[in-house]
Amino acid sequence: MNLLLDGLSNILQWQVLLVLVVGTVLGIAIGSLPGLTSTMGVAVILPVTFGMEPVTGILLLVGVYFGSVYGGSLTAILLNTPGTPASAATAIDGYALAKKGLAHKALTVSTLSSAIGGMISVIVLILVAPQLANFALKFSAPESFALALFGLSIISSLAGKSVVKGIITGFIGLLIATIGLDPMVGIPRFTFDKMELTGGINFIPVMIGLFAASEAFKSMEDIFSTRKLSFTVEKVKLKWSEFKTLIGTILRSSGIGTFIGMIPGAGADISAFVAYNEAKRFSKNKEGFGKGELKGVAAPESANNSVTGGAMIPLLTLGIPGDAVTAVLLGALMVQGLQPGPMLFEANGPIVYTLFIGMLLANLLILIIGLPGIKLFTKILYVPKAVLTPIILILCTVGAYSLGNSYFDVLVMFAAGVIGYFMQRYDFPASPLILGLILGPMMESNLRRSLVMSEGSISIFFTRPISAILLIIAIITLFAPLFNKLMKRGKGSESHKVQS
Amino acid sequence: MKAHTFIKTKEGREIRMKKSMKHVGIFLIAMLVFAMAGCSNDTSNGTEKKAAGKKSDYPTKPITLIAPSSAGGGTDATARALTADIEKYLGQSVGVVNKPGGSGSVGMTEGANAKPDGYTVTMVFVELTMYKHLGLSPLGHDQFKPIGLINLDPAALTVPKDAPYDTLEEFIAYAKEHPGKVKVGNSGTGSIWHIAAESISKKADVKFNHVPFEGAAQAVTALVGGHVDAVTVSPAEVKAQLDAGKVKTLAVMSDSRSDIIPDVPTFKEAGLDVDPVGTWRGLTVPKDTPDDIVAKLEDAFMKAAKDEKFTKFMASSGLGIELKDSKEFKKFMDDNYKQFGEILSDIGLSK
Repeated sequence: MNLLLDGLSNILQWQVLLVLVVGTVLGIAIGSLPGLTSTMGVAVILPVTFGMEPVTGILLLVGVYFGSVYGGSLTAILLNTPGTPASAATAIDGYALAKKGLAHKALTVSTLSSAIGGMISVIVLILVAPQLANFALKFSAPESFALALFGLSIISSLAGKSVVKGIITGFIGLLIATIGLDPMVGIPRFTFDKMELTGGINFIPVMIGLFAASEAFKSMEDIFSTRKLSFTVEKVKLKWSEFKTLIGTILRSSGIGTFIGMIPGAGADISAFVAYNEAKRFSKNKEGFGKGELKGVAAPESANNSVTGGAMIPLLTLGIPGDAVTAVLLGALMVQGLQPGPMLFEANGPIVYTLFIGMLLANLLILIIGLPGIKLFTKILYVPKAVLTPIILILCTVGAYSLGNSYFDVLVMFAAGVIGYFMQRYDFPASPLILGLILGPMMESNLRRSLVMSEGSISIFFTRPISAILLIIAIITLFAPLFNKLMKRGKGSESHKVQS
Repeated sequence: MKAHTFIKTKEGREIRMKKSMKHVGIFLIAMLVFAMAGCSNDTSNGTEKKAAGKKSDYPTKPITLIAPSSAGGGTDATARALTADIEKYLGQSVGVVNKPGGSGSVGMTEGANAKPDGYTVTMVFVELTMYKHLGLSPLGHDQFKPIGLINLDPAALTVPKDAPYDTLEEFIAYAKEHPGKVKVGNSGTGSIWHIAAESISKKADVKFNHVPFEGAAQAVTALVGGHVDAVTVSPAEVKAQLDAGKVKTLAVMSDSRSDIIPDVPTFKEAGLDVDPVGTWRGLTVPKDTPDDIVAKLEDAFMKAAKDEKFTKFMASSGLGIELKDSKEFKKFMDDNYKQFGEILSDIGLSK
């Protein structure tokens, strides 16, 4: 406790606070631009921190990291353009709410859930990091495979109107994921001797295309048609009674996010989808999801922000980076002479606790900057479509290019945009495709890695408890809609009998 | 073009001009155009003139350094740290551009095909000497002119702390008793750390179960979690776990001990005479770049690599500094190309 108080007094210096604010604002800006990911933001700011004091430097990066995860939701809700992959799930209900004129409400929910989710994960980090860290180590290839399979089973609940269409796009995503070098033996697959394809199709340009560019193409229809179709922004504020119904979802999703963040190799994007699925599973109003359900915003947003604290657990306690962002942070810590691992808490206790307080503050800043900012952010919807659409397309292009400074990614983005336009038209949901594209490589390489480890025996998936449990949950999730349907049909026929 | 039309109008006015006069006119106007071009763009013209003479004033504009990896990795970090203060030595700034993809081949191919004017420098890494063998890309190190080697990290055979062996000898004896059962994690099939493990297995005549991961960090995580029995990755990648006392490094695959873990013997010292295997990063320009430009870059980058800020950064990141000048770097890449070709064809990965 003393350490925490010391940390608090260390934080309350104007330089540190200023750096945190700058970092968070920068992060929100980076996160809201499609194509600029959290990893890129942190990596680009990293050299700036070399000359700083350890606490100031690391907290600048923490601000950028946390801010960018939140920032992704702004454009996801307002423009159906997820700023980062972590916000792809938020776009589903967030944009539906914005279309109804409830952008203000959706943004309030996303800001509150982001900040609360982030804080919960930091509190978990402070209280039980060492205990949880050893659990994270139990995750290896078979567990990651089972988790990926579970993630894929979510397709059945993301599918929207037609489960069949959802499964079709999900499998197309998996198919696209096989392009590139085989993850185990390095044999090129479907690359047609094109060098750009050896690395596979990056899912971020696909995501930008499917969500943002396709939406822009669609709004071109409206520009040229005489029909006026611009959003209204009703100043409907979130009511306390509405927020109360979200608390359960936020808490559950924060738990999911913290847990998934802790697991090496799984990150914010997966956690957001899983949380969305669980929110739907626990909701009484399942039909409302996809059409503008507040829980559909609260769940992914609290989950993806709580990944931040979760990912810090193995990083700080074991020196193991769970994803790309924490790998950059590991480098940043080492440059500052802080070697993450069990010794960190003993050797640099005061610094660690100062960082903890800083992380809590960064989440508080999301609230402080985000809430008053909502009015400003929603102004974007007043911009006429004829102006906004080209700007979105420019952002899409720049975003896709900046990922790898490659024109190929821009082509992929536009191709995905055209395909996405037709998918929208014929009611094929885009999210399952993205999910397949994200999870496909994770599932394939971990399946094959497990089999290498077990020398070919599939029992490795069932004899390891975590893997077995996850596989069972996956099977339940996959067939849940089918069971529901059967149950309903059963009930329906009964009531029919009664009536007749 | 402009000169031509001008002449035509002139022709039109002085239609009776003699043929010889006309030629003189063309010549004069051509000279004028040249001179004007010289005025409007005198920097480039100046460079040409001086290059033809004794010494060029290269560089006159900022230089691009291609890092063929995503932002955030070791290559990116090394490139950024190295170029942070290079203006001091080069007179111009160097901007890092990330071009990931194809295990680095996308960025490197672009670097090899860039204009050979010294304004595009490419940071290449060990995979450059492996693409051809693996059939990943037709790109080879002979398509570059080397500037210098900056960093080299050897493979370090690392096992969990509670493993039943404490020395390389005991490890190999154990592996011989359990053929094909010792799981060795690497950073991908055909990766440098896979080659390292295969080199050990070939030299010591033992059979391992090679488990490929996506990158060294994942392999180390699996080692700490007890899911694999050993890894052959760089000291930097296991340093955190070494300090935490979770793993122990048995030997390093280099000619001399690593500065990062000086207590650990080399393979030769530990009794296995295996060729050094390690990852490295160096700087190159397209192969047709003039030698005086290469010399300038060599001089500036070597100085930057000795800068205290850079050496401190490398040390704190656990990255080893190994400087080789243009000539040595070329020979080094030639040797690597040959060595990896042999191992990769032995294990059936060569195309």
